[in-house]
Amino acid sequence: MKVEVPDQAAGRGNHRKFRWGGRVVLSTLTFTLTCALTTVAAEPPPGMTLIPAGDYTPLLRDKNDLAEIPVAAFWLDERPVANGEFLAFVRANPKWRRSRVSSLFADGQYLTHWTNDLELGPQAPADAPVVHVSWFAARAYAAWAGKRLPTMAEWERAASAGYHGPEAKAEPGFNAQALEWFAAPTPAVFPAAGSGRPNFYGVRDLLDLVWEWVDDFNTAMVTGDSRGAAGNGLFCGGASSGARDPADYAALMRVGYRSSLRANYTVANLGFRCARDAETR
Amino acid sequence: MNAIRTLRLLAAAMLATGPILRAADCCCAAGQTATAAAYADRSIYQLDATWTTDAGQPFKLGELRGRPIVLAMFFTSCGYACPRIVSDMAQIRQTLPRAVRDRAVFVLVSFDDERDTVAALHSYRELHELGAQNWILLRGAPGEIRELAAVLGVSYKKDALGQFSHSNLITILNTEGEIIHQRAGLEGGLAEATRAVVASR
Repeated sequence: MKVEVPDQAAGRGNHRKFRWGGRVVLSTLTFTLTCALTTVAAEPPPGMTLIPAGDYTPLLRDKNDLAEIPVAAFWLDERPVANGEFLAFVRANPKWRRSRVSSLFADGQYLTHWTNDLELGPQAPADAPVVHVSWFAARAYAAWAGKRLPTMAEWERAASAGYHGPEAKAEPGFNAQALEWFAAPTPAVFPAAGSGRPNFYGVRDLLDLVWEWVDDFNTAMVTGDSRGAAGNGLFCGGASSGARDPADYAALMRVGYRSSLRANYTVANLGFRCARDAETR
Repeated sequence: MNAIRTLRLLAAAMLATGPILRAADCCCAAGQTATAAAYADRSIYQLDATWTTDAGQPFKLGELRGRPIVLAMFFTSCGYACPRIVSDMAQIRQTLPRAVRDRAVFVLVSFDDERDTVAALHSYRELHELGAQNWILLRGAPGEIRELAAVLGVSYKKDALGQFSHSNLITILNTEGEIIHQRAGLEGGLAEATRAVVASR
């Protein structure tokens, strides 16, 4: 009996079923057991690493939110998507060329660091993380690759690991290092994606290369949400006073950054990486 | 006998008298492929998602092309903000000049892909007496909801009780599906919104 894991090239949907490569009649017990083992033992999709199921502790919390948000196991790209990879997507999908893209989906700075529609040029090495991409473009790339964008909870969960364990908080100096990156100017040309030090899960560049889109970036509340102006009305005041862990200033910066974005914005230091469900349903 | 021409005339006549909301029906009924001009660069009708109406029918936002649109995102179990948004939309409708009122379409799209079933949306329509001629209630898949919210600039988040925090936004679209006005919050701004609908061609 053979259980195949979703194959990267063919994958389109996020909830792909296992296919059974033989004539098998199984009891429910065997089925359950096999799936459980497979989830753990499956070969990772190329370039992706498994983030095991666990909790994400939101930095900011409304009164009806859980203190810990459960996050199912998922695959995450080990590094951000690079210019060369994004070029392959643009070649295959002409409507995402710089000269053709709708301004609804990407603003005027879309891929502005490329020489032209299909030429990367000196500002955009093929192995450097792609930036100047909108949320729509990132999402379209992910769908094309048979993946999806990670949710904010997934991304933050992956980024909460240190170098040696699942809790960056437990590693002195880790957060300070993340803050140093915020202070550093955006380089004119980025180094290769994947050159950063891997964290505990084997993921690189989460906190020290580019900002990254998440699928639900537009969850941060603005004035006039259904709770009224109290608490979240003025973002900064509400945010810092409600923060669960004010020491994690880097996470707070990310909350603020995401809330400043619109889906068609493109920014010189904003890229993305992809994710994929690890569990079959 | 030119059957296609007859159908087209029939469809055009129905459209002119108002009972049918879908501009796109006229060409599809005639068995043609949609050969309409491409959408404008800022048109939200470029979103190709297929929604479901409270009658269980598939619906694409592009079918609204040619009409002035007043659109908001909501969820039926919302106790406070959404009923006010809906009643504000109804008030905008009441203050429109007759000719515009009959052409304008009021669209409500739900955040709640789990609980806002076709039946739930239909009950909401009845409860709030939203006329079949002018109101469209839609449900969709989570990714489609996220995309529509993104183009409208609506932030939203589901909490542990299944309720949604969300921006309160009424959006006015012109006949090409471009955003020409947004009324943010729950206070005031209705006269401006009404003027935008009138000017929306």
